[in-house]
Amino acid sequence: MIEKLLYNIFRSKEAVSYPEISDASEKALLAEAKETIDKVFGRSLRIRQVDAGSCNACEWECIALTNPVYDVQRFGIDFVASPRHADVLLVTGPVSVAMVEALKKTYDATPTPRLVIACGDCAKDGGVYRGSYAVTDGVHNIVPVDGYITGCPPTPASLIRGIVDIVAGRIK
Amino acid sequence: MHPANETYKMVSEDELVGKAAALMKGRAILRTMFACDERELDGTLKLYAVFSVHGEDRFETLVQDVKDYGEGPTFMSITHAVPAAHWYEREIKDMFGITPDGHPDTRGLVLHGMYPEVARPLMRDRSHEELRRLIDLTREDPYKYMEVKGEGVYEIPVGPVHAGIIEPGHFRFSAVGETIYYLDPRLFYTHKGIEKQFETVGFLRGVALAERVSGCSSFSHGAAYCHAVERMAGISLPVKASVTRTLLIELERLYNHIGDIGNMCAGTGFAVGYAKGASIKETLMRLNERLTKSRYLRGVNTVGGVEADVLKHADDILLTLDRVKEEYKSFMEFLLSSISHIERLEGTGILSKSIAHSLGATGVAARGSGIGDDIRRAHPHLHYDRVVFETHTHAKGDVLARMMVRADEAGCSFSIIEALLETPYKGLLKTDPGQVSPRRQALGYVEGPRGSIFYWVKSGDKGEPLRVKVRSASYCNWPLLPFAASGNIVPDFPLVNKSFNLSYSGCDI
Repeated sequence: MIEKLLYNIFRSKEAVSYPEISDASEKALLAEAKETIDKVFGRSLRIRQVDAGSCNACEWECIALTNPVYDVQRFGIDFVASPRHADVLLVTGPVSVAMVEALKKTYDATPTPRLVIACGDCAKDGGVYRGSYAVTDGVHNIVPVDGYITGCPPTPASLIRGIVDIVAGRIK
Repeated sequence: MHPANETYKMVSEDELVGKAAALMKGRAILRTMFACDERELDGTLKLYAVFSVHGEDRFETLVQDVKDYGEGPTFMSITHAVPAAHWYEREIKDMFGITPDGHPDTRGLVLHGMYPEVARPLMRDRSHEELRRLIDLTREDPYKYMEVKGEGVYEIPVGPVHAGIIEPGHFRFSAVGETIYYLDPRLFYTHKGIEKQFETVGFLRGVALAERVSGCSSFSHGAAYCHAVERMAGISLPVKASVTRTLLIELERLYNHIGDIGNMCAGTGFAVGYAKGASIKETLMRLNERLTKSRYLRGVNTVGGVEADVLKHADDILLTLDRVKEEYKSFMEFLLSSISHIERLEGTGILSKSIAHSLGATGVAARGSGIGDDIRRAHPHLHYDRVVFETHTHAKGDVLARMMVRADEAGCSFSIIEALLETPYKGLLKTDPGQVSPRRQALGYVEGPRGSIFYWVKSGDKGEPLRVKVRSASYCNWPLLPFAASGNIVPDFPLVNKSFNLSYSGCDI
């Protein structure tokens, strides 16, 4: 058993080849992300992601940010388990009626200073769900929003772009 | 009017239970059950129960006029004869105010406390504005969680906001020591009223909504919706569109299955495995983006065909998949030789075949418990009758079995895509959908990554949408989770949950 375990550990040289970021603008973006977060947040930005009724595409893109290709942890960005540990609330979804209270409670549990980012087209104004009885047409109707990241869903690159710009105070 | 492989049988109130029980005895599968407000057509509320007949490409739908004897509309619950109907009937109560008489569980399902009982959102004369006025966020939730009593039993409430990047839902565990005795999941936090929205946007624009029922099954949902509308309107799909849809459904299955296998590693704390799975998935997402400008394959489906000529990228697809196949092979070898990981999966979260069968499990969850239901085979559609593939089942019903079903199916998807791209296809990408005739109805279906997806559509007197019923795979499989979780230790729950990897949004609709 131990032999087999050791074998597994040391055999990991034959790793999967990761799809590399070859695009120059994407590379520049990642360098900028590092610089901004170092400067503004002292090398650490903690995000609490809240799904307030999204279709889950935004969630999967947030998860993709932690895959070996984007690996945002290397910039000090991380997703945390509790709002009490968070600098940023990243809210997705049009805020379904049943999630209003949970979102408010999560917001209240986040220590100030805090930023709220509305992520995705439906978080902005309800998107395709706008007008439905079961949604509230956007995060700003429930909690104050500091910045928006658009896209349905936003790509991992545009998520990084958006987070960097909002954190640096470049967009309101 | 309806397609040739569907039969609609009017039954009386007293006949429904008996007819449904007889169908079950003949090994039919309940695909969906719903109500439809047809008062504007013939003054009735109707109840539909759609079954797949065993061994035939045929759907038998039982239809009943709902009666009201002065105390509100009711029907005889079929849940005792067809356990798979239990959620559908509670949903019908919430959405139409029709009471399933004799249902063992009288709690609400879809609508939480803020909706008053009179809301009945799917009644045709209820507008979105009216409903918004009826919703009261301060109203107490009457929902009672199932309580387990006894020495040493304690409750662990989790959610709706979870620790990870996951969709919202509440889990109430009743545990004894470390062992889960009972789990009561409370879902529908992401209910967005999509079925009602379908009625207002029109059949053609409904595709964008269908694509946003569940993000990681965007394409399958879009395809199933289009399939339903096309069957209803009698549109025959151009070959190229049919091939493109089949191909993209398999690509969607591939990125989900490989990603899910990787995610299960996160459930055992096996970081290397998780990273490898995530990396292969990213390669596939980037292929999706090159092919369709969307990582989630959105915007391709349209009623009558497809918008993008994906097949012209055949070289890119084959080249990328060749590489992915190699990586995937070494990834699986790596996982299967990692004893510490595999040991955690073996014997964990067992879903018995009998429970899976009686509650109407679908997709990976069913096939991991030895049920070979695959609608690509049972009800051939698109190009599935022209490619050779196998339906893989594993009998043990544990987390490992569900992983192996995914592994085998991913292998299958590679070969289906390769077979599709062997010959070039000529012709149009789409046909003009034209006008939908009034009073028509049809089912549409696709075997998505998590299992079968059904849409049922009906047009009104002007050919407008009267009802669009969405039945996602996750809706069938969520009620299975408590059975698979019972008897396991609480720390294994995330792993069991990941092995099903159900969509919350796809269930809550």
